[in-house]
Amino acid sequence: MTHASGTSFPTTRRTVLVGIGAGLTALAMPRPSRAAAAKSLRYGLSTFPPSIKPWENTGAAANTVKLTMYRGLMGYDGKAKLVPEVAESIDWPDDKTAVFKLRANAVFHNGKPVTSKDVVYTFTQIQAPDSTAYLKNALTNIAKVEAVDDHTVKFSLHAPSAVFTQLLANYCAGIVWSGSAADNPIGCGPYKPKSQERGVHIDVEKFADFYEKGRPMCDTIRFIAYSDENLRYAALQTGDVDLIEYLPWAQFDAVSKSKALKMAATTGPFMLLLFNVAKKGPLQDPKVRQAIGYAIKREDVIDAAFAGHGTPLFGFPNPEGSPFKLDDAASKWTYDPDKAKAMLAKAGYASGFPCKLLATSTYGMHQDTASIVQAYLQMIGIQATLDLPDWASRVKAGKDGDYDIAVHGLGGYYNDPDSMWPLLHSGPSNYTRSFGFSSKTIDGLLEKGRTTTDEAKRQTIYEDLAKAYFEEVPQVPLNWRVQADALHDNVSGFMAFPGWLNSSSAYSLDDTDLG
Amino acid sequence: MAGFVLRRALTALVMLWVVGTIVFSVLFLVPGDPAELLLTSGGSTATQEAIHNLRVKMGLDRPVAAQYVTFVADTAKLDFGRSLIDDTPVSTTIAQRLPRTLELIFAAAVIALGTGIPAGTYAGLNAGGRFDRIVSGLNALLISVPGFVTGTLFIYFFAQFLGVLPAGGYVAFFQHPWMHLQMLILPAVTVALHLFSIIFRMTRASVLEMRSHDWVRTAVAKGLRRRLVVRRHVLRNALGPVVTVVGLQMGILLGSTVLVEFIYNWPGLSGYLVTAVEQRDYPTVRAVILTVAAIFIAINFVVEVIYSLLDPRIRLS
Repeated sequence: MTHASGTSFPTTRRTVLVGIGAGLTALAMPRPSRAAAAKSLRYGLSTFPPSIKPWENTGAAANTVKLTMYRGLMGYDGKAKLVPEVAESIDWPDDKTAVFKLRANAVFHNGKPVTSKDVVYTFTQIQAPDSTAYLKNALTNIAKVEAVDDHTVKFSLHAPSAVFTQLLANYCAGIVWSGSAADNPIGCGPYKPKSQERGVHIDVEKFADFYEKGRPMCDTIRFIAYSDENLRYAALQTGDVDLIEYLPWAQFDAVSKSKALKMAATTGPFMLLLFNVAKKGPLQDPKVRQAIGYAIKREDVIDAAFAGHGTPLFGFPNPEGSPFKLDDAASKWTYDPDKAKAMLAKAGYASGFPCKLLATSTYGMHQDTASIVQAYLQMIGIQATLDLPDWASRVKAGKDGDYDIAVHGLGGYYNDPDSMWPLLHSGPSNYTRSFGFSSKTIDGLLEKGRTTTDEAKRQTIYEDLAKAYFEEVPQVPLNWRVQADALHDNVSGFMAFPGWLNSSSAYSLDDTDLG
Repeated sequence: MAGFVLRRALTALVMLWVVGTIVFSVLFLVPGDPAELLLTSGGSTATQEAIHNLRVKMGLDRPVAAQYVTFVADTAKLDFGRSLIDDTPVSTTIAQRLPRTLELIFAAAVIALGTGIPAGTYAGLNAGGRFDRIVSGLNALLISVPGFVTGTLFIYFFAQFLGVLPAGGYVAFFQHPWMHLQMLILPAVTVALHLFSIIFRMTRASVLEMRSHDWVRTAVAKGLRRRLVVRRHVLRNALGPVVTVVGLQMGILLGSTVLVEFIYNWPGLSGYLVTAVEQRDYPTVRAVILTVAAIFIAINFVVEVIYSLLDPRIRLS
């Protein structure tokens, strides 16, 4: 039986080709919003900010957006230099008193002038008992904030602080208008909020009365969230955005070779191993932890997890841009498997031991790092079983000490060894510190380093800290990772701030221009 | 009929309560604290005091039983609460996102039906022919390649290589209709490919079966035009199972477009659910799952009513 051979579908080769050609041409023609207005910058974020609250730290994407809307007393200029921001000047009558003179022309987005009252309000809120502010703990050193006059504020500190002004430049220290409603904190940054579509984009527009005349350069910025790193890069390549954060490491070479794109890169956070030292067993012994430090070939971690874009880290993480030189050859865990085995044997673990290696499946770089670490641990007899839960479970496991060794990626927020405080100083259990680790020596050096304002003395203190870090092994560092933003060639003025200031690079959006 | 509707409505309520209770319980069993996650985003550190204060603000310090009672009481009033993460009303966000996922599924279904039925019919009528062999071969490929692979390839080819379509993203239709449609094409086609392969296979098999029936032979023998034979006697009978499968698939797609939404940055309901799970945003997870469950129950209910209307032999008892 032959059915319907005459049932016609007039699909000749010619009609199909003509159809496809016409379709593609039609699609390609009008892409009006791609180029948008001349001064509208489109910025590809790695995630949609969970919330934009001026004093909470809810991640890098939120902090980038926040820095366009809120500014603190201190800040960084387009070259990452610490400068007065909403303040015009700072004076230190003694080492426990700081007097800030506010800019006379600084106004909030609602047109109200920025006054001492607003500064007092801001720091009172940050220090309030029910505050969830990121800097609450770091700013407990403030004994009193008082308004001297409308434009002069005096901070009295409990103890001298070498990093007080750096803390005030943090993206979680924005000055907020004292009359703000709880759900609508009003700032005085270069851009004011315009609109947002949750999960899609956030629009900010130039604040005409911004105190820095002539800035910002763009009229609007649209922050668009692209969670998938490959899509984020594709969006940059196709011109859907002008600038992206967190360029995937696999694309570094492509951008370097591209004529249309360029890269703004720096060595940012570092990868490391944390230990559960509260649990009875081999990892309580610093010599065993040191052996692990000698056992891992850093270059392989960098190749596997970061496509070769990183630098081995053998000792105390002193960030790029730090004013101190901490490069003691005797305090380094260079790759030496024989030494590692000998140290294990001396500690009584010649045949190794089993352990649980915690990382997360949420971030490829953590998972890949863990795989390499596992392989190198195996070579000295340590049988590590990988545990790769999702990020939320990973955070809980870290906090509860449900691991033996954990892979992590961390960094500070300013280029000073003091920025290691939250990662090293004793305190309640925290997923960013080795579980159960506490060292009076390290605590003491950190405290001394923070309250000493003489640079030369601080140099000595941090040299001692680097040695204590090597001997007591609160962490085993693995490598610095290169962190890069990628941008179109016509984008100027944007700068990746060096080292741990990288998360504050959004300050340079004031100078970012399209042309 | 009224008794049937009442009984079904009561059953639906019980089912929703069961779903809600299971989701509520599971969320408390899964490790992870929304307050801690929010304040430690991006590897930052937060003090225990700050985390505790946020937990109090989120209402998570209350006993689980008290939280459950509040959840049931609020849900009964159709109040899904506010997101723990950004404090926006969950129902507002669902109302914003659900239509986008429905639009994606609808567009995919239109594409898949518009291509799958004619192709399946033609292949079925010309079984063993060149078209049949090529499309059946491609079909095996389409059914086995996951959406995220085709999605990535599409982005590379149409956005990065040809530059004719955006790589992804979303613009509201009323804001920019043409841009909206351009952004819809790739995700819709990606979802449609899998659906196409199912529809094509079902249609082809059904047509093959129908065309050998006596009444088709009779229709041909009495000289009816081929096109009429195909339309009236083959296709009409062959489409029954296809429609059933498409109906089922539409329901399944409601919760499974997540990868496509992720790859193309399409801000639909599935993506919202995944983010909420990652962030342990309890009210959002509960509300989204209850919404999807309610839609499923409603679809089943409507199908039962339609069946009874179409076929009086099926009694609504």
